[in-house]
Amino acid sequence: MPEEKRIIAGIYHLSKRLSRHFTLKDINFQVANGEFVFLVGPSGAGKSTLLRMMYMDDVPDSGQVIVGRFVSTRMKRSTICSLRRKIGIVFQDFRLLEDRTVFENVAVAMKVSGRGMSEIKREMTDILSRVGLYHKRYECPAALSGGEQQRVAIARAIANRPSILLADEPTGNLDPYVTKEIMELLFKINSGGTAVLLATHDVELVRSFGQRTIYLEDGRVVKDSGRVFEGDLLRSISDSQVERRAREFRDRRIGRGEKQDGTGNTNRPEGGG
Amino acid sequence: MSAFNEFKYILDESFRMLRRRKASNIISVIIMGFSLLVLLIFILVTLNISMVIDNAREEMRVYVYLENGLDQDVIERVRTGLYNFDSVRGVVFVPREEALERFRERLGEGSALVDDLETNPLPNSFEIRMKRAYSTGEEMGRIAGKIGDWDGVEDVRYGKDWVERGEKIVLGFYMTDFTLGIIVFLSIVFVISNTVRLSILSGRKSIEILKLVGATNRYIQVPFIFEGAFQGVISAVLAVILLWVSYKVGSRYLPGITFFRLDGIAGFVALCAVLGAAGSYIAIRKYLKR
Repeated sequence: MPEEKRIIAGIYHLSKRLSRHFTLKDINFQVANGEFVFLVGPSGAGKSTLLRMMYMDDVPDSGQVIVGRFVSTRMKRSTICSLRRKIGIVFQDFRLLEDRTVFENVAVAMKVSGRGMSEIKREMTDILSRVGLYHKRYECPAALSGGEQQRVAIARAIANRPSILLADEPTGNLDPYVTKEIMELLFKINSGGTAVLLATHDVELVRSFGQRTIYLEDGRVVKDSGRVFEGDLLRSISDSQVERRAREFRDRRIGRGEKQDGTGNTNRPEGGG
Repeated sequence: MSAFNEFKYILDESFRMLRRRKASNIISVIIMGFSLLVLLIFILVTLNISMVIDNAREEMRVYVYLENGLDQDVIERVRTGLYNFDSVRGVVFVPREEALERFRERLGEGSALVDDLETNPLPNSFEIRMKRAYSTGEEMGRIAGKIGDWDGVEDVRYGKDWVERGEKIVLGFYMTDFTLGIIVFLSIVFVISNTVRLSILSGRKSIEILKLVGATNRYIQVPFIFEGAFQGVISAVLAVILLWVSYKVGSRYLPGITFFRLDGIAGFVALCAVLGAAGSYIAIRKYLKR
């Protein structure tokens, strides 16, 4: 039986002023479990900023970001660490620890989550085999190609079995052949149940895969090819304030004439490609 | 994370950091080691001088000269009165004949002068030895003032100028040590704070990565704090070794000088570790707060 769709991350009425002339305005989108979503827009459209707000490296001026049980409006410094241990993040520039081996780079994410060395060693074989780098586990990043370095970054991102992986232009520094390899790897991870939100400016790349795509332009979402509703996630958060906001949000939508079914979901197509 | 895993991680990270910035760590340890050496030299000199002065104080006496022709019971009353002071350790009665004999001995070759005297001009007296803690000019002055008013007491004397001068010298050394200590310790916090800041700057990419994978501030801070503490310990040990060598050379020319006790050295090394950790903590906290 296919797993029931539920929202695992969402952005709600988010606004953020990025410069004097550019503001992200009223951004809304949600990602369900196991979904693969492209976030597309030209360079400088605010894709990276949105991702940064999803791993709480930045805060919205208004609106909120919810990832799992973490809500941006009530995040503390200490809870940011907990959030980041539950998500995976991949960057264009890989961000690897240059003075450590492949093994150590991946292990660091597991160590900060409080896992012991014996457990790390036990799981490492599987993780590194999945990204095809087990044979290079004792190499340092400088000895690896760009594609291999990105694989290490992906291995680190999935080391703690996150429910969502945020990828910020993960193929931006790679040639088309390696790009295809990395995309295949990300799809493989996604098929294991991890949702992937991939930000890119490469429209061709997006077209070739035909997944749900959110288009960002002039600081707004101009198109979302498969929108899902945020109700489930909001209901699962026990904070009464958030619940109230969710109700208000739902009421507003009903007021705008959108129909709602008995489970709290609007009659919109479910996402997932 | 279990305590063992965390401890192992901290050690690994700290030594990794020390290795990575070997040159700058060595330079800062040498700078701090020599600053600490200067401080230790001053403290050691103070220690030795105050020991000399303490020993001299031990020898200090308050002399109570009695009037001539006192009855035995008056003399006993004075003796009892003297013992009633908390600060008095011992009282010795010196009869005038013995006083003359001592005077004769002290004059040596000139003792013939004493033989020419028809009568003994010296009075009976009491020699008071003070308890060590009370061998101060102030306490001696206090009891001397009181005793001077007693019946049968002609005069009370103690080495007032000598005692006060000695006290001033020791106080001067203590003040110098204190001022120097503050300057050196502050400069150690500053040097370590700066070394660690360089370490942070060179490792800021790693710090950012650690933050991205969910490391807590403590996880990031502790290796840096350990690095600072380690620098503090190594500088202190370096300073103690250098001082030990200087002491060995110096004691050939100045026999009898004393070195620090082992517990004192351990305390000093621990203090430097704490200062190093503090300097480090200031630097990393400032960075993580941004």
